[in-house]
Amino acid sequence: MAKDPRVTNIEDLPGPKSKGEMEEWKMPYEEYCKKIFDVGNEHAKPRPLKGIKWLSCTMYIFTPHSVANLAELGAECIKIEMPRMGDAMRHTSPFNECYLYPLHDTRPMTGTGLGFTNANPNKYFITMDYHIPEMVEIFYGLVKKFDGLTELYRPGTLDKWKMSYRYLSEINPRFIYVWGGGFGYGPKIFGGSYDILGQAHAGLASISGMHEFMGGHCTKQTNWVIDWQSSNLITASILAAIHHRRKTNLGTMIEFSQVQVPTRMLGHTTTMYGKFGIVRQRWGNWDTQLAVHGIILCGKSDFPDAENPQDKFDARYAMVSAFQDADFKELCAITGMKELYEKYKAHKDRVEGEAQVEIYSALERWAADKSRSEVCKILNNAGLLAEPVRNDREVYESPHYRERGTVRWLDDPLFGDMLLHAGYSSGLMEKSPRRINWHWRPVGADNKKVYNEMLGIPLSKIQEWYDKAYI
Amino acid sequence: MCDIIWCKKEVGGKPCDTINYLDPYCFWNWEGKINCAECGTVYYIHMIQGFMYIGPEERPGEEPDIMPLYADKPFDGYSNYRPGVEGRTRPYECKPRAQLKGVADMVKFSIRGRPVRGWRPQPPSAGLAGSFAFNWDIQKLSPEVWEEYQKKLAAGEVKDW
Repeated sequence: MAKDPRVTNIEDLPGPKSKGEMEEWKMPYEEYCKKIFDVGNEHAKPRPLKGIKWLSCTMYIFTPHSVANLAELGAECIKIEMPRMGDAMRHTSPFNECYLYPLHDTRPMTGTGLGFTNANPNKYFITMDYHIPEMVEIFYGLVKKFDGLTELYRPGTLDKWKMSYRYLSEINPRFIYVWGGGFGYGPKIFGGSYDILGQAHAGLASISGMHEFMGGHCTKQTNWVIDWQSSNLITASILAAIHHRRKTNLGTMIEFSQVQVPTRMLGHTTTMYGKFGIVRQRWGNWDTQLAVHGIILCGKSDFPDAENPQDKFDARYAMVSAFQDADFKELCAITGMKELYEKYKAHKDRVEGEAQVEIYSALERWAADKSRSEVCKILNNAGLLAEPVRNDREVYESPHYRERGTVRWLDDPLFGDMLLHAGYSSGLMEKSPRRINWHWRPVGADNKKVYNEMLGIPLSKIQEWYDKAYI
Repeated sequence: MCDIIWCKKEVGGKPCDTINYLDPYCFWNWEGKINCAECGTVYYIHMIQGFMYIGPEERPGEEPDIMPLYADKPFDGYSNYRPGVEGRTRPYECKPRAQLKGVADMVKFSIRGRPVRGWRPQPPSAGLAGSFAFNWDIQKLSPEVWEEYQKKLAAGEVKDW
């Protein structure tokens, strides 16, 4: 122990006594990550957005998902739906088959479709008809108590109903207001939007899919990627607005046009047009900057005896990457394309369109008598990057996703056993992770909690509103 | 997206100024005549892929093929015609389109053999104003499924993954 109490010697402290010892004591990085992120135990840790309260007058995916992000991070979010009906997305189920029941007490034969999944976890669900002046007053009461609101009505609709930011900021100057919708103000203010329209309008669909000379067409993503991506960006804006409010004590309005978002996902496309006047082509499963770096079709399925056509016929694609000169040389050696290596030794030569057509065609000819996994195995053994294009079932069975908790089962408090595949896919947080408490709840499931417990409205009044279909 | 016809027809010395909303489901690829919900002026339009290729052009004296779904007047306090106003807007019965009227598949158990609420009818909440508690008491609410589940458990058909 040092004589002077102000002096601290490293020997006197607990823990490693030297830098070398410290390094020695450190657990392997993987073990360290497993310990601090502690997947599966998220609910034992604090919620990062605890204390934030958010209203959601939203439908479909785009705007609900922007609030779902907040709810997963621990904000208290209330979704306001149409009485008896609920969000239209509840009635949108893939192929009209996958429903969970019940939807609402008055509609025992109707369920909520799985299309509602992922955009509404952890929210509380109330119903309210804004057209009733009495209910608008109740809505104002909620605004006074909440931090913000996300809505998606046609531009100016809530303004018309005296429920827009101009009005609400007078009631609550700290209120953060988000309008999210198709086009926003501008020449197409009347235009509504769907994800596919966003992909088309912003030029994203025009550069997705294979070129027409390869038999391809402009393509939209099967899923509604623009809805999901736009809402993530709304959430980023909301978090920035909350931070801004901490500094200024003032709320703000966020106006979010969905068709803007795909333009952000176009990379260099528009800038290239501005500089050279070049309109970008689509190049589908290959890459415009790197070659070889794309997806090829193999001749045989990995699961020829499977019943499911996705397994039986479609498990034939593999991602192959060998764009470095040495890797390309190895690829050519292993696939017997030596003359192609001689021809396209330099990357600048093989990245050209004509060269790519020649190279990928040769690769597919080589893979024509092989299955997807054989192709990947041969290339991996040669030290090259190759990965099968997986389907949903393979993702479900992937040990990587299971270990990281990306895909997991949730015993939903109301609906039972449900598979989760998105709630835990947004990165891991050590101290305050995201978590899923429930997938969703029936229409109006929290009417009593919100109207009675939060706003102090008598139960008899709530029942009266319910009987009149105000809620 | 939803396009509009903004009717500027002079009626009684001032413009009609009614916005007639063209529901995208009906008008995405469409050619024909549509009336203004307020003044009844008939317009011809030709839309291709949601783009107003021709029109709106007035067609006085002709009958409309279809009515707008909704219309409002922004300069008149947003007074409006909601769906289903006779002779002005189209009826909207809130019914699913015919091709969506299939029979939903029912499930009682997930692929790993645990109960999931995928069948109907389900018992009501018994809560105030449609409110639900946070617990699905399957043993009490659906005893027959609970029994089936116990048999599955005993037979080792319930898995972790």
